Amino acid sequence: MTLKNRFLLFLLLLCQTIVAQNDTIVLKDVIISDTQLKKFSNTKSITQLNDSIIAKSNASLTSLLNFNSTIYFKENGLGMVSSPSFRGTTAQQTAVIWNGININSQLNGQTDFNTINSANYNDVTIRAGGGSAIYGSSAIGGSIHLNNKLHFEKAFLNQLQMRYGSFNTLNLNYALNASTERLSSQFSIVRNSSDNDYKYLNTNQKNENGQFENTSANLNLGFKINAKNYLKLYSQVFDGLRHFSGTLAAPSKSKYEDWNTRNLLEFTNYANKATSNIRLAFLTESYKYFEDKNQSFYSYGKSETAIVKYDFLYQLTDKITLNSLVDYSHTKGFGSDLKSTTREIFSAVVLMKHQLTTDFLYEINLRKEVTTNYKSPYLFSFGTNYALTKSYTIKANVSKNFRIPTFNDLYWQQGGNPNLNPESALQLDFINEVTTKHLVFNVTGFYNKIKDMISWKPNSNGLWQPINTNRVNTYGIETSLSYKKQILQNHLLQLNLNYGYTISENQDTGKQLIYVPQHKLTSSVAYNYKKLTVFTTHLFNGAVFTSLDNYYRLKEYNVVNTGVDYQIFKHAQLGFQVQNVFNESYQTVIQRPFPGRNYLLNFNFNL
Amino acid sequence: MNFKKLFFATIIGSFLFTSCTDDDSPETPLGDYDNGVLILNQGGFGNGNASLSYLSNDLNTFQNNIFALVNPTVTLGDTSQDVGFFNNLAYVVLNGSNKIEIINRYTLAHVATISTGLSNPRYIEFARGKGYVTNWGNGGSTSDDFIAVLNLTTNTVSTTISVAEGPERIIEENDKLYVAHAGGYGYGNTISVINTTTDTVQTTITVGDVPNSLEEEDGYLYVICGGKAAWTGTETLGKLVKIRLSNNTVTSTIDFPIGQHPSNLEIEDNRLYYTVDSDIYKTTLSATTLPTAELFSTTEQGVYGVYSFAVENNKIFIGDAVDYSSNGKIYVYSLTGDLLTDKTVGVIPAGFYFN
Repeated sequence: MTLKNRFLLFLLLLCQTIVAQNDTIVLKDVIISDTQLKKFSNTKSITQLNDSIIAKSNASLTSLLNFNSTIYFKENGLGMVSSPSFRGTTAQQTAVIWNGININSQLNGQTDFNTINSANYNDVTIRAGGGSAIYGSSAIGGSIHLNNKLHFEKAFLNQLQMRYGSFNTLNLNYALNASTERLSSQFSIVRNSSDNDYKYLNTNQKNENGQFENTSANLNLGFKINAKNYLKLYSQVFDGLRHFSGTLAAPSKSKYEDWNTRNLLEFTNYANKATSNIRLAFLTESYKYFEDKNQSFYSYGKSETAIVKYDFLYQLTDKITLNSLVDYSHTKGFGSDLKSTTREIFSAVVLMKHQLTTDFLYEINLRKEVTTNYKSPYLFSFGTNYALTKSYTIKANVSKNFRIPTFNDLYWQQGGNPNLNPESALQLDFINEVTTKHLVFNVTGFYNKIKDMISWKPNSNGLWQPINTNRVNTYGIETSLSYKKQILQNHLLQLNLNYGYTISENQDTGKQLIYVPQHKLTSSVAYNYKKLTVFTTHLFNGAVFTSLDNYYRLKEYNVVNTGVDYQIFKHAQLGFQVQNVFNESYQTVIQRPFPGRNYLLNFNFNL
Repeated sequence: MNFKKLFFATIIGSFLFTSCTDDDSPETPLGDYDNGVLILNQGGFGNGNASLSYLSNDLNTFQNNIFALVNPTVTLGDTSQDVGFFNNLAYVVLNGSNKIEIINRYTLAHVATISTGLSNPRYIEFARGKGYVTNWGNGGSTSDDFIAVLNLTTNTVSTTISVAEGPERIIEENDKLYVAHAGGYGYGNTISVINTTTDTVQTTITVGDVPNSLEEEDGYLYVICGGKAAWTGTETLGKLVKIRLSNNTVTSTIDFPIGQHPSNLEIEDNRLYYTVDSDIYKTTLSATTLPTAELFSTTEQGVYGVYSFAVENNKIFIGDAVDYSSNGKIYVYSLTGDLLTDKTVGVIPAGFYFN
């Protein structure tokens, strides 16, 4: 059940699209590390899911995004490996950015969205479209930003959230925020566990060997040395154990362990017109795969990445903001099937934002990486933001983005291909945004021309090797609408809708990429009266092809969740939810069914 | 702008799409699937779409997905590896599902399932009224490989015979079993000889690296060893090894040139066939050197490595796994390499079983 969205509707209320902000002021009392997300994303389509949405959502990042965006998720059963398809791209073409640092796996190039607990963040922001010029590899379909905000004001807040549901699923979140004007601290811990032994609908089978548990902890500290100098530390660990579920046709006895750590130390100096920021990051990831959970042998992979980043922001004039970043990263990858290798990447980025008139601005981003491991192209992005009327804004972007080959692609034993080049994508998008008092509405058209797609294919000896091969065009339309209205006194109605139409076509075969639905729709309605909230959320996923010849496919499905929340005391809230109300039988990966109707009880406490 | 209209259009559109994906109505079973070849389609690993196809000996009747047509309520399984015939029954070994589905070999009607006692099952053979199934055990262990002995009355695993790593193809001759240890996840170089009275390993014969196919003819065992490919870092030569079964000794070994890694040994009408990459070779049983030129090549059909191969009824059958995700192809040639027909079959055609 971790994946179903629990409180979607209520959350959605709070979901808002950030429209064309022309802020150039440094907000010194609330600080996020990902300054480019705030300052150099004015021409992009941005959706922010804030902490109150996150608090109402299911534990995993998969669930949060699945019910709140047009991103498609492919999950090997509930709680198992989860990978995204954003704007019709592959799992490696969505970047996940933690406090400004790209945390996609160095080993396989993607983030498993079921190893990220959204409760550890104050906001999760979806930045649609190409962002490689700023964020580097994988920001092709778009990027997902996990942000912790440090507040420098007197505060002390405890939050406890407990949920218990079908299949012995337990989710506990505790967060403590304590801050003064000089010192800011955040601590959070999330614990999830589930027997996950749900019945497969319309069969006499159940989900066997699907139990999982994970614990993640976050500690973020900020120290205001003086009005101009800040020191911050962000620290995170994730410890997960999953038994990998069997399928309808094949039993499983395997298990998989994840152990990821992320540390970021950051010093910022705010001068008159210039902001200097130095970041040191150290990231580790490791997995162990036990093909037989009862045996001691396993295969494993690990990577360790050290990053040094210097970020210099300069307000050239009232209208022009310049930002340069230089970045050195050193990654060591090793494992039972990996040739132990070190990769060093040096990158330089120049960003400019120019507010030409009060209604019009443009942004230019340039990036070049240097590495010995592959040829790296020049990347760029050019975008405009034009406010046609007070409520109607249009934005347009052209960008070149890439996805670098991963350690597995390059150095897997046997088969890794050290001669790979990055995948590259030329992208256009055009965004219409309408914002009125009650309504935020967005229609975006996008087009991506991707070449040198890396895919693993058997050579004539039967050895599977990755090669730069396919050319893929993805294009489509994304729309979102959120509506919020106070109807009578104490009555609040909120509606939210996202719809995506996506074509992702292999130019060599004319076929749609596998596991990319042409249609995805999410919608939610929430109604709030005084202490009571009732809500319903709905997810429609179109059919997806599961074979390259588009002969095999999974059928489309609808999932509806509904629930009620009631404020029982000033500091406490009780809720109940029915997930998959209509008992829909569905799979997001072939042979791996999701649960039917199931139930969830929750209790929130804030003090 | 009328947002309302646009959004309702959007929603309605997405539900209209729903109605476009209904499946076509299925075909009906042919009845008897004899006088032809059953083609085993492995299916994608994890996709649970193993299937059987049928092509009649006259090449005029062809049907896909025949197991499901006859047994609509039974899923054949995940990653089928081999089919063995015994009396009126066919035993389909499903590697991913760790099971054997037993069906009537002619009508394909489902009879029974063996789902316990197997671990990574590969190939099946029969001797003295018993079934023998090679099993890799866990890939990460080199010491848990075994032959499962099947009681064909109770359809259970009655005992197991522990063997060296990576038991793959298995054949029976004179109540003895010959098991080629191609090596599972590693690289083997032996043949185990199994006594089917005692169900124990009688002796082991060392051959070349990666014995991937074997055939018996007139008291001799012929073994094609692929050798280790260049990408292993320690490339070894492919070999054609001939063993006298009366005393289990190697009587001759022919080395392949470096870089050539043969597979798919077949003996038919005293001619020996094998494949290297996309090429088919033919030679005699007594040859002491390899043929210098291929019999024919499948490159014209775009076959990228021969995935499965058989010679029967004066025809050569070739299975092409294509991209290992899409439906595969089979090609049927005359003995001189003229293409007689081709068919699109299920995913990854892995074997031909003449019925």
